[in-house]
Amino acid sequence: MKLRDLFRPETVKLELESEDKDDILKELVELLELDEKSEAILFKTLKRRENLGSTGIGKGIAIPHCRSLVVNELRLAYGRKSDGVAFDAIDEKEVRHFFLIVAPPLEVSNQYLPVLGKVAQFAKDPEVPGKLTELEDPAAFLDLLEAHGG
Amino acid sequence: MHPQLVLLMELQDLRAQKRALHQDSGETVGLEEEHFNLDRSRAVELLEEKIESLKDTLTPQLRTRYERIAPQRDRVVVPVIQGTCYGCFVSIPTATAGDQIGNTLVETCENCGSFLYIVE
Repeated sequence: MKLRDLFRPETVKLELESEDKDDILKELVELLELDEKSEAILFKTLKRRENLGSTGIGKGIAIPHCRSLVVNELRLAYGRKSDGVAFDAIDEKEVRHFFLIVAPPLEVSNQYLPVLGKVAQFAKDPEVPGKLTELEDPAAFLDLLEAHGG
Repeated sequence: MHPQLVLLMELQDLRAQKRALHQDSGETVGLEEEHFNLDRSRAVELLEEKIESLKDTLTPQLRTRYERIAPQRDRVVVPVIQGTCYGCFVSIPTATAGDQIGNTLVETCENCGSFLYIVE
């Protein structure tokens, strides 16, 4: 299973417009193109996960994630906010890169945790934040994943 | 979607989070602690508090049904996909599935008792 195969160009947004944490989460959720009620439920679930502890892992990266009934397969999205946003990250720095991971409560393929681990490893590669900043289109994001073995 | 069904789905998501963190040694716990510095016991406490407060917003009738099902199964609310209850994998009567289109009612599976929502 490759990360590249789990992202789609339409779930990659290189210019997030939101200016605060809640709106960033909502904007990421919108990338999944769910119905309005499902978006609201998913936002609340992600927000509740954030309330347990921020998913901002430092170095400008956050990985909001949860299991939710509103999806029936593993869904991923990536958003970039070039100016950065306060996200209560571990290093207290602003976050510029957001990887959203949502899985149904039960998956036949059981990919959620391996994918969460892979995304965290990818994001923690010292070269990755810089390369993410330079991306010019969603296809380049997918190529970057591919180049890093994902 | 029925507002009480929305609450039940939110409750189910919280239960899923708690279940993942409640395991003494699991992959989830390892990832959450390693990458996200999560204080697991505090997180479980917070989730339990939230679950209790959300339960208070269910109607008395639904709360009774919820309390009856919840101790017996991890998933109290389950999707219906192509006419099959994903709680027990038994087909849902066509009439029930038809009534539940748009998830405007709160229906339960006749076989396993799980609350149902239709994935269209």
